[in-house]
Amino acid sequence: MKLFGKHLFRPRSIWIRKIVQWFFFLLITLISINHTLVENGGGIPFLTTASLHALCPFGGVVTIYQYATVGTFVQKIHESAFILMIIGFVLAFLFGPVFCGWVCPLGTVQEWVAKLGKKFFKRRYNHFVPARLDNVLRYARYVVLAWVVYVTATSGTLIFTEYDPYFALFNFWTSEVAVGGLIILGVTLVLSLFVERPWCKYACPYGAVLGLTNLFRVFQIKRAESTCKADGACSIMCPMNIPVDSVKTVHDHQCISCLECTSEAICPVAKTVVFTTATLKPQES
Amino acid sequence: MTITSKSLAALIFVILFGGVAFTTAMGWWATESTKEPVTFTEGEFAGLPNPADIRGSYTFGDIEKSFGIPPAVLAQAFNIQTDGPAFAIKSLEEIYATGEFEIGTASVRLFAAFYNGLPLDLSTDMYLPESAAVLLKERTLTPDQLAYLDSHTIPNPAADPSAPTPAPVQVTESAPEEESTERVIKGKTTFREILDWGVTQETIEQIMGIPMPNALTTIKDYCTEKGLDFETIKTALQAEVDKAGQ
Ligand code: SF4
Ligand code: SF4
Repeated sequence: MKLFGKHLFRPRSIWIRKIVQWFFFLLITLISINHTLVENGGGIPFLTTASLHALCPFGGVVTIYQYATVGTFVQKIHESAFILMIIGFVLAFLFGPVFCGWVCPLGTVQEWVAKLGKKFFKRRYNHFVPARLDNVLRYARYVVLAWVVYVTATSGTLIFTEYDPYFALFNFWTSEVAVGGLIILGVTLVLSLFVERPWCKYACPYGAVLGLTNLFRVFQIKRAESTCKADGACSIMCPMNIPVDSVKTVHDHQCISCLECTSEAICPVAKTVVFTTATLKPQES
Repeated sequence: MTITSKSLAALIFVILFGGVAFTTAMGWWATESTKEPVTFTEGEFAGLPNPADIRGSYTFGDIEKSFGIPPAVLAQAFNIQTDGPAFAIKSLEEIYATGEFEIGTASVRLFAAFYNGLPLDLSTDMYLPESAAVLLKERTLTPDQLAYLDSHTIPNPAADPSAPTPAPVQVTESAPEEESTERVIKGKTTFREILDWGVTQETIEQIMGIPMPNALTTIKDYCTEKGLDFETIKTALQAEVDKAGQ
């Protein structure tokens, strides 16, 4: 897309994804500001006055245990979070973790910082963590998930808010923000200068839940071996360092369905890396 | 079927906002707990809102809706500048944070009860600023309520924030010990908490006359669900908590 002869977005990237990301970033920012305004007697017309807790699909996930056993929600969690959780699962069942790749503003902010990192480090960006260590660390988010579910179930309160960088990002101006969350947010942003989406890769419990749908989702990232030039562009581009060029179908639990590896973006050959339900046959190429 | 990024973007919007619209239409979408207190179920006050159920997230506007107290009166009672309906009563705690005696949600419960002549369990200590007491004395109070009010009024904080918080006036009872303020059964207390305070499950079940549910349930919710009178159960359980704490 061009304006005054200049590219608005980097070519061969999924520009519509950036627009969707911006949209949700602004939406969540406005909702958070509105919540503060409403508490102080003001407010933006026509915008929900809900708190972020009420709009967090992960809040729905952590409340499942209490809802199933007691029939009530964890403090500060309401029906809306439960509904968003279900919508998040429907989306993920169909398309994988599109919430991460397209909606989550924390993922978006990490991508924005990544732009700086890419400027500094060029091709070395996102390749600093030794592969072995990286492989192990990628499972750390399941440990975080187990811990969050456990402490929420036993305490009945949202303990994770104390550490949640997402909550800190949209509440740093309020008294509700916790120092733990701010520190983790700061560390995440600094690390984003070296690694793409460090929070998503190594720590996010919601990303961990959604990531599991990569094993069975309906629409998958598939590579047609017959037309693939094996130049590795897709793997280099992948923010989650997934070796797309060495698999036929991406089942990696870290894929965020950003589509940046597809033929619509970085892959130079048409219809070679696609987002599809079909089995790629040689004649399709 | 193969889809492009544009179709995916459209589908994300349709599924997300369509889902929200659908659940809103069905009446399932709620981003906050209802701001209406439960009502008394029996006795002469049946059908009237129970001030014990006022929660910190309520605003002056919510109190006005349920208890008919105008925000301006509430603002005057609690001696604050805002009299907008959006003022959340939990903010009172911050405003009065420096004082020795807590002014917060419990104080609003007390004010709403006395203002409307509604019953409220007075076995715990709830305090009101003098400005609220003055307004309440213009209403009809029973001698018991009056006595409680007199012993639970604290002076309004001095205008100068650096001035030391004055000691409460007319507090005839001894100041509450830390132990007793901590181990008080309130609307949000769960069975787990009283178990932690040393009351056994058998005792709890004996008092309620029915099996104890999952420990994370709040006592109040369970009483409401099972049609038990929370105040009665609370008093009996509180006695056991106090016993266990000795
Ligand atoms: S992994 Fe977590 S932080 Fe990252 S985009 Fe997904 S939900 Fe957001
Ligand atoms: S495999 Fe493709 S869609 Fe998945 S995260 Fe990597 S670049 Fe994005």
